[in-house]
Amino acid sequence: MDPRFVDLLTPFLKFLGDQEITPETSLREHGLDSMQAIELLFAIEDTFAVVLPDEDMNDATFATAGSLWNVISAASDTDLTVPDADLTASDADLTASEADRTANLR
Amino acid sequence: MNAIAAGSAAVADPPAPGRLAELTDRVAAVSAAHLDRTDRDAVFPVEALDEMRRTGLLGLLVPAGYGGLGGGVRDLVEACTTLGRTDMSVAMIFAMHCQQVAAVVSHGTERLRAELLPQVAGGKSYLASVTTEAGKGGHLLTAGAALDATGDELAVDRFAPIVTGGAHADGFLVTMLAPDATSPSQVSLVYAHRDQLSVEQTGDWQPLGMRASHSVALRLRGSVPEHHVVGAQGGFRSVVTSVFGPLAHLGWSASWLGTAAGALSRVLRMLRSPENRGRVDLGSELLLTRLSEARRRLDTVHALLTRTERTVSRSADLSLPRIQLQLNALKITAAEECYAAVDGLIEAVGMRHGYLKGSPTRLEHALRDLRSASLNYSNDRLHLADGKLALLDPEVRFV
Repeated sequence: MDPRFVDLLTPFLKFLGDQEITPETSLREHGLDSMQAIELLFAIEDTFAVVLPDEDMNDATFATAGSLWNVISAASDTDLTVPDADLTASDADLTASEADRTANLR
Repeated sequence: MNAIAAGSAAVADPPAPGRLAELTDRVAAVSAAHLDRTDRDAVFPVEALDEMRRTGLLGLLVPAGYGGLGGGVRDLVEACTTLGRTDMSVAMIFAMHCQQVAAVVSHGTERLRAELLPQVAGGKSYLASVTTEAGKGGHLLTAGAALDATGDELAVDRFAPIVTGGAHADGFLVTMLAPDATSPSQVSLVYAHRDQLSVEQTGDWQPLGMRASHSVALRLRGSVPEHHVVGAQGGFRSVVTSVFGPLAHLGWSASWLGTAAGALSRVLRMLRSPENRGRVDLGSELLLTRLSEARRRLDTVHALLTRTERTVSRSADLSLPRIQLQLNALKITAAEECYAAVDGLIEAVGMRHGYLKGSPTRLEHALRDLRSASLNYSNDRLHLADGKLALLDPEVRFV
């Protein structure tokens, strides 16, 4: 798990005491309640620049630090692919318009 | 997740068509014979409970393999609606008992199920819910008093300010902090048979409505074996999400809808009766509009109740925000609309048949009972949860 994730999670787990956060750490048992889930979500989205899918907003995602991190990782992977694809697409557009320009010049 | 979906053990062998109506009609008939007294004296409807025992209705959600009726969520909704038409206290007592049974069916250990469920099916065990606790402000998912583990036994010492039917229950499902819990959300649900506890009743029960629910304050002390933990130690939350919460909202809403539907039905019968036809102007636009309003409110609740029952029966994961939102919307809407429907009927028929005791419409009794609906797990609290849940579903998708 990313150390930034552990840092942002810590203040939400007021019953953590001196324990370290591991993937098995239960979020509910250590103080995360459903009313705080949205604040945690905002913190995740700001830190990792991702949007977690609505489908993953269930109890299984918010069960443990590891289950939540898995969803963040999956969303990060998805978000990285999309801009690449867009970039390729605009490169292609650029090439096409250059070709058009060249064609016009002739 | 979902522990009560169609296809689970709880719905293996549903009661034959018509059979359930026959049983609920029998209980409703006994309720009707005693409701004036149980309401006036604020006493538990012992006769109606005895009829639930005799008919086997207490075992509605007990799988046939354990001797029960093998009913499912839809059967529960139907039964609560029917009972509510006559007496909301009886319907709510039944709904809450079934909620406890479903928790044992879906989350109990095999040993506990084998010991307890045949007793429920045989009419010997009526179960009450002990989730209230002083000082936690109605929060279901936290607890103060902790189970004390010594050997194979778990010591229970618990005060609960409101336990519906607590003086008459044969067993209790009690929320307690798990042994060695390090936070107030590590809540366990344990079953305790009455003879495993000393049960001390304190205080009096003198409410506005729901008087026959006889919801008393209890001090419970005793010990139960380890296999009486329902769900994992500290795992009450998943019992709530997958069975407790959904069945509460469905069962309560069905009871409230039944109560308001019974009230509307009695008003309509009175208006149509030969002795009143000449006295009441059935062409009155004000009266017609008010009847329309009442009926529309009930059709709205019925549609939402039916839809939510289907959602609960078919969805794999009930923790999704849009499903939680629908369940909460049902509870909030049923509480508001059923009360408003009866309130409107009182305006429609006036002082004598609307406000006074002794009218065959029984509107004043229904209104007092239904006033509890918004407080029974507070609508205010649900709105706060719904606001947060709405933020978790920005695409606003519906089920």
